[in-house]
Amino acid sequence: MHKGGTALEKFIITNNDKVYKKYKGKYKIVFLEKGSYTDVLNETRDYIHNGCKLITHPMAGSLKPNQTPYKSVIIGKTSEKTDYSSVILIENSLDAANKFLKHKSTPKWNEKILNDFKTVDLSLIENVIVNPMFNIY
Amino acid sequence: MTIRYCFCYKIEYIDRIEIEKEVVILKLELGKIKISDVQFGDKTEVVKGTLYVNKDEIIKLVLEDDRILSANVELARPGESVRIAPVKDVIEPRVKVSGSGAIFPGTINKVKEVGSGRTHALVGATVITCGRIVGFQEGVIDMSGPAAKYTPFSETNNVCIVIEPVEGLETHDYEAAGRMVGLRVAAYIGEAGRNVEPDEIVTYETKPLQEQVKQYPDLPKIGYIHMLQSQGLLHDTYYYGVDAKVMVPTFMYPTEIMDGAIISGNCVAPCDKVTTFHHLNNPVIEDLYKRHGVDLNFIGVVLTNENVFLADKERSSDMTAKLCEFLGLDGVIITEEGYGNPDTDLMMNCRKVSQKGIKVVLITDEFPGRDGKSQSLADATEEGDALVSCGNGNVIINFPPMEKVIGTLDFIETMIGGYEGSLKPDGSIEAELQIIIASTIANGYNKLSAKGY
Repeated sequence: MHKGGTALEKFIITNNDKVYKKYKGKYKIVFLEKGSYTDVLNETRDYIHNGCKLITHPMAGSLKPNQTPYKSVIIGKTSEKTDYSSVILIENSLDAANKFLKHKSTPKWNEKILNDFKTVDLSLIENVIVNPMFNIY
Repeated sequence: MTIRYCFCYKIEYIDRIEIEKEVVILKLELGKIKISDVQFGDKTEVVKGTLYVNKDEIIKLVLEDDRILSANVELARPGESVRIAPVKDVIEPRVKVSGSGAIFPGTINKVKEVGSGRTHALVGATVITCGRIVGFQEGVIDMSGPAAKYTPFSETNNVCIVIEPVEGLETHDYEAAGRMVGLRVAAYIGEAGRNVEPDEIVTYETKPLQEQVKQYPDLPKIGYIHMLQSQGLLHDTYYYGVDAKVMVPTFMYPTEIMDGAIISGNCVAPCDKVTTFHHLNNPVIEDLYKRHGVDLNFIGVVLTNENVFLADKERSSDMTAKLCEFLGLDGVIITEEGYGNPDTDLMMNCRKVSQKGIKVVLITDEFPGRDGKSQSLADATEEGDALVSCGNGNVIINFPPMEKVIGTLDFIETMIGGYEGSLKPDGSIEAELQIIIASTIANGYNKLSAKGY
């Protein structure tokens, strides 16, 4: 796949095996197989502090952080210093997630529901990857 | 000879332009037919304020979609002991009586600009699509009791279409099937209003920009930025059939929305999803028209989206600000749909439009936690200094059982706002307010707000 002159090397950080299965081999994937929603956000924060920037919004989807167990975020490796807008966005997202989880933890869903959550999470990421502009970022 | 012909042609040409110019001014007469009851009948018709619906014809229409295994029609009226769940969409039946295009253009009718001529609406009636879509969402409407006051649809006469998909249908297909069923049934019922004399006719008119500015030169020029949910599966909105996530910000005459130019494909957060009903009856547009020519000059609507890709947000907010500047606006109202990701679009729009020297007022609901002490939104900007709140979706409410359930209560605990233990053995419910359809809808079509003291 043509990456474009200034395109960033991209990583998908996810705990959703549907995302992992669909994109392994095509993109670098940090697959947190047993990780939680907040584990994905925390991992994303670590990457941002190590020279990555957000490509997708960490709170994509209207499903609340204490509702869906799945989260996928796309980031890109930059050669620049810390991207502060990404830092602010990931911190705000972590605050919001913790706010929801503080009052009520994510329920133990059955397989059917878990599968629906995975499908929705995958859809949010798929729409970005098929975007013709994706390869220049 | 030749010159003479040219001359004639020229005159004809000018005449045609003149005629077209008159048509361009979007003036819509909305005929409101007040519906005070709904009953089953042999024929779908409106008689003295009662809507009669032919159940068999509706079921036949629904089952034309081979993705749907079974369908049932049930009625829910104000004050009844009825609970409807899970709710996908709510649609007001309307019919285009005259003027270009037909209702829901690009979705169930061919694409043609709408928003002019005459439209009839069955005000006080709705079509509600319900039944299982996916296992974890949608919401509740109670027709009576303490939860009824939080939803506008406890006050309407509802034709509920309960649908079941064929086995193994993919989530995407089922959402699309459910969406189309609601629109087709609403259009079918809307036809019953075609030849009925409306109880009230309201005329809405917006002129092309330069004429609109000239009409009220001394009043502030106000626009409305309408942000459409567009994140992906179960989070989509369509404008003349275009998926909002692949459109760029554009200008819309406010009357277009009243003919169904925008329809909802969103089935995620019950409390603040903008149903198709809410698009048809957008309260910001309604109120801006009420003050049009009084203390403001309502120029029109800028539509934009709420995508997941941050680069899309950058482009959309840039273009939204550019359009507002180009229109010469003095002030705008911005509404969003959803929480989290859209908060970032809301703030980017607020910041960039403000930086053009245009005053901005935001309308949204809040999720500050059950105690109300946390941050209400997931993003912020210092330009966001004027906001109207539509309430706190995290508040816990208790509501008693209803005698009849339309749909199923199987998913109460997995809906947004529900949790383990939400559904009590006697059928009563304890849940966050966000489980109730339209309870904190972020365009103000509700009764909740917050005040600063």
